[in-house]
Amino acid sequence: MAKAFFSRSAALGLAGTGGFLIAWEALSRSGLVSPVMLPAPSVVLRSGAALAETGELGAHLAASLWRAALGFAIGATLGVASGVAFARSDLLYGLFNPLVQVFRAIPSLAFVPLAIFWFGIGETSKIFLIAWGVFFPVWVNAFIGVRDVSQLFVRAGESLGASGWRMLIFVVLPAALPMILAGLRVSLSIAMVLLVAAELAGALHGVGYLIQVSQQVFRVDLMFVGLAALGLMGFAADLVFERAVRLLFPWYAARETGGRPARADDRRPMTSSLRGAPGA
Amino acid sequence: MTAAAILEGPVTAGVSIRPLLEIDGVSHVYRSALGTETTALDGVSLSVARGEFVCLLGPSGCGKTTLLNMIAGFVTPSSGRITVDGETVRGPSPSRGVVFQDYSLFPWLTAGQNVAFGPRMAGQGPAARRQTARELLALVGLPDAADRYPAELSGGMKQRVAIARALATDPAVLLMDEPFAALDAMTRAALQRQLLAIHEARSKTVLFVTHNIAEAITLGDRVVVLSPHPGRVAADVTVDLPRPRRRTAPGFNALYAHLADAIGAETTE
Repeated sequence: MAKAFFSRSAALGLAGTGGFLIAWEALSRSGLVSPVMLPAPSVVLRSGAALAETGELGAHLAASLWRAALGFAIGATLGVASGVAFARSDLLYGLFNPLVQVFRAIPSLAFVPLAIFWFGIGETSKIFLIAWGVFFPVWVNAFIGVRDVSQLFVRAGESLGASGWRMLIFVVLPAALPMILAGLRVSLSIAMVLLVAAELAGALHGVGYLIQVSQQVFRVDLMFVGLAALGLMGFAADLVFERAVRLLFPWYAARETGGRPARADDRRPMTSSLRGAPGA
Repeated sequence: MTAAAILEGPVTAGVSIRPLLEIDGVSHVYRSALGTETTALDGVSLSVARGEFVCLLGPSGCGKTTLLNMIAGFVTPSSGRITVDGETVRGPSPSRGVVFQDYSLFPWLTAGQNVAFGPRMAGQGPAARRQTARELLALVGLPDAADRYPAELSGGMKQRVAIARALATDPAVLLMDEPFAALDAMTRAALQRQLLAIHEARSKTVLFVTHNIAEAITLGDRVVVLSPHPGRVAADVTVDLPRPRRRTAPGFNALYAHLADAIGAETTE
């Protein structure tokens, strides 16, 4: 990371973020707006530090991360498995595709009240909602990735003796992997949306809950702490995802750069999603 | 010596050895989305002897790729029969190696793993198949490419790895579908030389599809010309020029004109 600070894009990013923070600080101190409604970044930072010191911020973050991770894991696993199964089985596809399409068309946020009614405001409703929201984009991408797998790769595999499950494992799934990864990446941000929606609707811990409660006690600075925490969580999740992909699938990186797998320092983002979290 | 004899001598039907590849009255009719039927191939018969290098020459749309795909087992003939080594083709098999026109290397595997893929599917152990991959990559002139991913290789290198991969299952016949069409002239000439060297070293039977007349003359022991609409065998010419065949060699141009005629005369119909 240290080297990246000297690259042009990192320097520009730093300058932009720094400029934004300075402007925000100045605006909040200028008297043009109420510093209570728009606390300066320095104030937000202090409040955040104070909250972290008591361990409260950590507890909220841990609760949210745990929910997001578990919900994501469940939704992603089911999404990939059923997407692949649907693409490989005409029977399964014929039976359930209309149903899946209808469910998919319902915005997952609309399930928040129902999930709370069913599962209460405990962990189950949140994990269910996140898994539900994550499932569909992962399913769609896995399905399309496997269904539209390059005929060239399949034929090459066939002529080299691959068939049946070995064709699936050694040819079809790796060939569909870029699509599957894209679905998983999109789902990361969806998991965040549902996490917060579920926590706002009722919780005893979590970053969403922190924001909600801070509003009720008129602590705008703490609301900002919560927002910044969410931004950083999303940013970190994206970064971890990208690193994990590079580590697990070096060919994917090679494919992107058309050269040696790039070092993390000079990498380019795979997509532009989830960039630009608020600096803090 | 025997290889040279096969290369230079004309191969005719009626030789005591049974041909390796026999295509017997093969037709292919496909139906378009609108329901109209098109005959891509019409009663094509052809036999290829063991160790022979046959070029299938024809303009685009003459069904030469379809014919190759049928021999590979990717496409089922509407009628007729294809046998390799006395066995009717009923689907793809590692006994028929295929080199595709487009880059078909698996991008998720290194060059070495790509070459080792066939042996891996055949149940060969890791050490043995690594050895196979090493040998074949050396054979195609890429001894140091084993750990590189296809994305890191040039077009010519990719096709050389693809040839090595197709050879790894030790197929009875190597089916090549315009494998050098996307390469620049220099690379193409280099790969042609290398392919001939491999053909002689391993006495592999090769069926090579091309629309390039010079390429067909440079490579083939025999050039089979297919005419389009519907695909039929328009000419079957034995090339008895000594190798290496240069365009300046006597006989090259006469043969070129003959083949161009065979293609051109048919396409004007």
